[in-house]
Amino acid sequence: MRFSPALPLPAILICLFVATGLSLLAASVLPAGFRGAAIAALSLTKAILVVLGFMQLQRENVVLAGALIGYAALICLLAGARIALSGIS
Amino acid sequence: MNVALREGLDTTQPEAGSGIELLLWILIWSELAVFGALLGAFLLLGMLDPAALAAVRGELDLPLAGIATAILVSSGFFAARAASGWQPLGNLIAAALGGLIFCGLKIVAFTHELPALAAMEARLAELYMLIVGFHFAHVLFVAGLLLLVAWRPTPRHIAGVATIWHLIDLVWLLILPVVYLG
Repeated sequence: MRFSPALPLPAILICLFVATGLSLLAASVLPAGFRGAAIAALSLTKAILVVLGFMQLQRENVVLAGALIGYAALICLLAGARIALSGIS
Repeated sequence: MNVALREGLDTTQPEAGSGIELLLWILIWSELAVFGALLGAFLLLGMLDPAALAAVRGELDLPLAGIATAILVSSGFFAARAASGWQPLGNLIAAALGGLIFCGLKIVAFTHELPALAAMEARLAELYMLIVGFHFAHVLFVAGLLLLVAWRPTPRHIAGVATIWHLIDLVWLLILPVVYLG
Protein backbone atom coordinates (compact mmCIF):
# COMPACT_ATOMS: atom_id res chain seq x y z
CA MET A 1 0.00 0.00 0.00
CA ARG A 2 1.33 3.39 -1.00
CA PHE A 3 0.34 6.39 1.09
CA SER A 4 0.26 9.93 -0.17
CA PRO A 5 2.21 12.48 1.85
CA ALA A 6 0.44 15.52 3.30
CA LEU A 7 2.82 17.86 1.43
CA PRO A 8 3.96 16.77 -2.03
CA LEU A 9 7.62 15.76 -2.08
CA PRO A 10 8.59 18.26 -4.85
CA ALA A 11 7.14 21.11 -2.73
CA ILE A 12 9.23 19.95 0.24
CA LEU A 13 12.35 19.84 -1.94
CA ILE A 14 11.71 23.37 -3.23
CA CYS A 15 11.20 24.61 0.35
CA LEU A 16 14.51 22.96 1.31
CA PHE A 17 16.29 24.69 -1.59
CA VAL A 18 14.80 28.05 -0.65
CA ALA A 19 15.70 27.64 3.03
CA THR A 20 19.25 26.64 2.09
CA GLY A 21 19.62 29.66 -0.18
CA LEU A 22 18.25 31.97 2.49
CA SER A 23 20.65 30.48 5.08
CA LEU A 24 23.63 31.20 2.82
CA LEU A 25 22.32 34.71 2.17
CA ALA A 26 21.77 35.33 5.88
CA ALA A 27 25.32 34.13 6.62
CA SER A 28 26.69 36.66 4.13
CA VAL A 29 24.67 39.81 4.71
CA LEU A 30 23.02 39.95 8.15
CA PRO A 31 24.59 41.37 11.33
CA ALA A 32 25.51 38.82 14.01
CA GLY A 33 22.34 39.01 16.14
CA PHE A 34 19.86 38.70 13.30
CA ARG A 35 22.17 36.22 11.55
CA GLY A 36 22.09 33.85 14.52
CA ALA A 37 18.31 33.97 14.81
CA ALA A 38 17.76 33.64 11.06
CA ILE A 39 20.19 30.75 10.64
CA ALA A 40 18.75 28.91 13.66
CA ALA A 41 15.17 29.33 12.37
CA LEU A 42 16.03 28.33 8.80
CA SER A 43 18.10 25.33 9.89
CA LEU A 44 15.31 24.13 12.14
CA THR A 45 12.82 24.58 9.30
CA LYS A 46 15.00 22.38 7.08
CA ALA A 47 15.28 19.73 9.79
CA ILE A 48 11.49 19.74 10.29
CA LEU A 49 10.94 19.42 6.53
CA VAL A 50 13.24 16.39 6.37
CA VAL A 51 11.67 14.67 9.40
CA LEU A 52 8.02 15.40 8.61
CA GLY A 53 8.20 15.64 4.84
CA PHE A 54 10.77 13.07 3.74
CA MET A 55 10.76 10.61 6.64
CA GLN A 56 7.01 10.95 7.19
CA LEU A 57 7.80 9.84 10.69
CA GLN A 58 4.77 11.55 12.20
CA ARG A 59 2.60 8.96 10.47
CA GLU A 60 4.46 6.15 12.14
CA ASN A 61 5.47 7.50 15.50
CA VAL A 62 4.65 11.01 16.67
CA VAL A 63 6.92 10.72 19.72
CA LEU A 64 9.97 9.79 17.63
CA ALA A 65 9.23 12.61 15.18
CA GLY A 66 8.92 15.03 18.09
CA ALA A 67 12.14 13.76 19.66
CA LEU A 68 14.09 14.18 16.41
CA ILE A 69 12.73 17.70 15.91
CA GLY A 70 13.47 18.56 19.54
CA TYR A 71 17.05 17.32 19.12
CA ALA A 72 17.47 19.38 15.94
CA ALA A 73 15.93 22.40 17.68
CA LEU A 74 18.46 22.15 20.52
CA ILE A 75 21.46 22.11 18.16
CA CYS A 76 20.00 24.90 15.97
CA LEU A 77 19.33 27.00 19.07
CA LEU A 78 22.91 26.53 20.33
CA ALA A 79 24.34 27.31 16.87
CA GLY A 80 22.16 30.41 16.58
CA ALA A 81 23.17 31.59 20.06
CA ARG A 82 26.86 31.13 19.28
CA ILE A 83 26.53 33.06 16.03
CA ALA A 84 24.57 35.84 17.73
CA LEU A 85 27.08 36.05 20.59
CA SER A 86 29.96 36.34 18.12
CA GLY A 87 28.86 39.95 17.54
CA ILE A 88 29.26 40.80 21.23
CA SER A 89 32.82 41.51 22.21
CA MET B 1 11.39 -4.46 -14.59
CA ASN B 2 10.29 -1.32 -12.80
CA VAL B 3 6.66 -2.23 -13.32
CA ALA B 4 7.28 -5.65 -11.84
CA LEU B 5 9.02 -4.08 -8.88
CA ARG B 6 6.20 -1.60 -8.36
CA GLU B 7 3.68 -4.40 -8.45
CA GLY B 8 5.70 -6.40 -5.98
CA LEU B 9 6.02 -3.43 -3.68
CA ASP B 10 2.36 -2.52 -3.91
CA THR B 11 1.35 -5.94 -2.70
CA THR B 12 4.00 -6.44 -0.04
CA GLN B 13 4.70 -2.96 1.35
CA PRO B 14 3.91 -2.96 5.06
CA GLU B 15 1.28 -0.68 6.54
CA ALA B 16 2.57 2.72 7.59
CA GLY B 17 1.92 1.97 11.25
CA SER B 18 3.79 -1.34 11.32
CA GLY B 19 6.91 0.35 12.65
CA ILE B 20 10.60 0.29 11.78
CA GLU B 21 12.79 -2.01 13.79
CA LEU B 22 13.91 -0.93 17.22
CA LEU B 23 17.50 -1.75 16.30
CA LEU B 24 17.41 0.75 13.44
CA TRP B 25 16.27 3.48 15.81
CA ILE B 26 18.95 2.57 18.32
CA LEU B 27 21.50 2.96 15.51
CA ILE B 28 19.99 6.29 14.46
CA TRP B 29 20.02 7.74 17.97
CA SER B 30 23.56 6.47 18.53
CA GLU B 31 24.65 8.32 15.39
CA LEU B 32 22.82 11.44 16.49
CA ALA B 33 24.45 11.24 19.92
CA VAL B 34 27.94 10.97 18.39
CA PHE B 35 27.40 13.83 15.95
CA GLY B 36 25.70 15.84 18.70
CA ALA B 37 28.76 15.44 20.93
CA LEU B 38 31.11 16.46 18.08
CA LEU B 39 28.99 19.47 17.14
CA GLY B 40 28.69 20.45 20.81
CA ALA B 41 32.47 20.31 21.12
CA PHE B 42 32.84 22.45 17.99
CA LEU B 43 30.40 25.02 19.37
CA LEU B 44 32.19 25.08 22.72
CA LEU B 45 35.67 25.40 21.22
CA GLY B 46 34.38 28.10 18.87
CA MET B 47 33.07 30.07 21.86
CA LEU B 48 36.36 29.67 23.73
CA ASP B 49 38.58 30.59 20.78
CA PRO B 50 36.77 32.94 18.37
CA ALA B 51 40.00 33.80 16.54
CA ALA B 52 40.65 30.15 15.65
CA LEU B 53 37.01 29.77 14.59
CA ALA B 54 37.30 32.79 12.28
CA ALA B 55 40.55 31.37 10.84
CA VAL B 56 38.94 27.97 10.20
CA ARG B 57 35.85 29.59 8.65
CA GLY B 58 38.07 31.67 6.39
CA GLU B 59 39.39 28.48 4.79
CA LEU B 60 36.01 26.81 4.24
CA ASP B 61 34.30 26.83 0.87
CA LEU B 62 30.78 28.05 1.71
CA PRO B 63 29.38 28.19 -1.86
CA LEU B 64 30.49 24.60 -2.47
CA ALA B 65 28.94 23.56 0.87
CA GLY B 66 25.68 25.19 -0.30
CA ILE B 67 25.75 23.28 -3.59
CA ALA B 68 26.57 20.05 -1.73
CA THR B 69 23.57 20.69 0.55
CA ALA B 70 21.26 21.11 -2.43
CA ILE B 71 22.58 17.85 -3.91
CA LEU B 72 22.16 15.96 -0.63
CA VAL B 73 18.57 17.13 -0.01
CA SER B 74 17.78 16.26 -3.65
CA SER B 75 19.05 12.75 -3.05
CA GLY B 76 16.86 12.65 0.09
CA PHE B 77 13.94 13.55 -2.17
CA PHE B 78 14.67 10.54 -4.38
CA ALA B 79 15.03 8.26 -1.34
CA ALA B 80 11.67 9.51 -0.05
CA ARG B 81 10.10 8.77 -3.44
CA ALA B 82 11.55 5.25 -3.37
CA ALA B 83 10.23 4.70 0.16
CA SER B 84 6.80 5.88 -0.98
CA GLY B 85 6.75 3.17 -3.64
CA TRP B 86 7.49 5.35 -6.68
CA GLN B 87 9.87 3.53 -9.07
CA PRO B 88 12.12 2.30 -6.24
CA LEU B 89 14.92 1.08 -8.48
CA GLY B 90 15.41 4.35 -10.36
CA ASN B 91 14.91 6.52 -7.29
CA LEU B 92 17.32 4.52 -5.15
CA ILE B 93 19.99 4.79 -7.85
CA ALA B 94 19.30 8.53 -8.19
CA ALA B 95 19.62 8.92 -4.40
CA ALA B 96 22.91 7.01 -4.39
CA LEU B 97 24.24 9.11 -7.29
CA GLY B 98 23.33 12.25 -5.35
CA GLY B 99 25.35 10.93 -2.43
CA LEU B 100 28.32 10.16 -4.66
CA ILE B 101 28.16 13.63 -6.24
CA PHE B 102 28.07 15.08 -2.71
CA CYS B 103 31.23 13.09 -1.92
CA GLY B 104 32.86 14.36 -5.12
CA LEU B 105 32.07 17.96 -4.18
CA LYS B 106 33.47 17.40 -0.67
CA ILE B 107 36.67 15.96 -2.14
CA VAL B 108 37.01 19.09 -4.30
CA ALA B 109 36.50 21.24 -1.20
CA PHE B 110 38.94 19.12 0.84
CA THR B 111 41.70 19.56 -1.75
CA HIS B 112 42.01 23.25 -0.91
CA GLU B 113 40.61 23.28 2.64
CA LEU B 114 42.64 20.53 4.25
CA PRO B 115 46.18 21.73 3.45
CA ALA B 116 45.37 25.14 4.95
CA LEU B 117 43.60 23.64 7.97
CA ALA B 118 46.39 21.12 8.62
CA ALA B 119 48.90 23.97 8.67
CA MET B 120 46.93 25.70 11.45
CA GLU B 121 47.50 23.02 14.08
CA ALA B 122 44.32 24.16 15.83
CA ARG B 123 41.91 21.90 17.72
CA LEU B 124 38.99 23.40 15.83
CA ALA B 125 40.56 22.53 12.49
CA GLU B 126 41.05 18.94 13.66
CA LEU B 127 37.46 18.81 14.89
CA TYR B 128 36.23 20.16 11.54
CA MET B 129 38.09 17.40 9.71
CA LEU B 130 36.70 14.80 12.13
CA ILE B 131 33.08 15.96 11.83
CA VAL B 132 33.01 16.47 8.07
CA GLY B 133 35.19 13.42 7.39
CA PHE B 134 32.97 11.22 9.59
CA HIS B 135 29.88 12.49 7.78
CA PHE B 136 31.61 11.96 4.42
CA ALA B 137 32.30 8.33 5.37
CA HIS B 138 28.63 7.88 6.28
CA VAL B 139 27.46 9.32 2.95
CA LEU B 140 29.83 7.08 1.01
CA PHE B 141 28.88 3.94 2.95
CA VAL B 142 25.13 4.49 2.81
CA ALA B 143 25.28 5.44 -0.90
CA GLY B 144 26.77 1.96 -1.37
CA LEU B 145 23.93 0.51 0.72
CA LEU B 146 21.40 2.34 -1.47
CA LEU B 147 22.90 0.71 -4.55
CA LEU B 148 22.91 -2.66 -2.80
CA VAL B 149 19.23 -2.32 -1.91
CA ALA B 150 18.48 -1.09 -5.45
CA TRP B 151 19.97 -4.33 -6.74
CA ARG B 152 17.44 -6.43 -4.82
CA PRO B 153 14.80 -4.09 -3.39
CA THR B 154 12.30 -5.17 -0.78
CA PRO B 155 9.91 -2.70 0.90
CA ARG B 156 11.47 -3.37 4.30
CA HIS B 157 15.02 -2.73 3.10
CA ILE B 158 13.98 0.36 1.14
CA ALA B 159 12.26 1.82 4.21
CA GLY B 160 15.32 1.09 6.38
CA VAL B 161 17.95 2.48 4.03
CA ALA B 162 15.80 5.55 3.23
CA THR B 163 15.45 6.26 6.95
CA ILE B 164 19.23 6.10 7.42
CA TRP B 165 19.70 8.31 4.35
CA HIS B 166 17.34 10.92 5.81
CA LEU B 167 19.30 10.76 9.05
CA ILE B 168 22.44 11.62 7.06
CA ASP B 169 20.56 14.51 5.43
CA LEU B 170 19.46 15.69 8.86
CA VAL B 171 22.97 15.50 10.32
CA TRP B 172 24.37 17.54 7.41
CA LEU B 173 21.64 20.16 7.90
CA LEU B 174 22.83 20.44 11.53
CA ILE B 175 26.52 20.51 10.56
CA LEU B 176 25.87 23.42 8.20
CA PRO B 177 24.86 26.09 10.78
CA VAL B 178 27.34 24.90 13.41
CA VAL B 179 30.40 24.63 11.15
CA TYR B 180 29.87 26.68 7.98
CA LEU B 181 27.36 29.46 8.66
CA GLY B 182 27.75 32.46 10.91
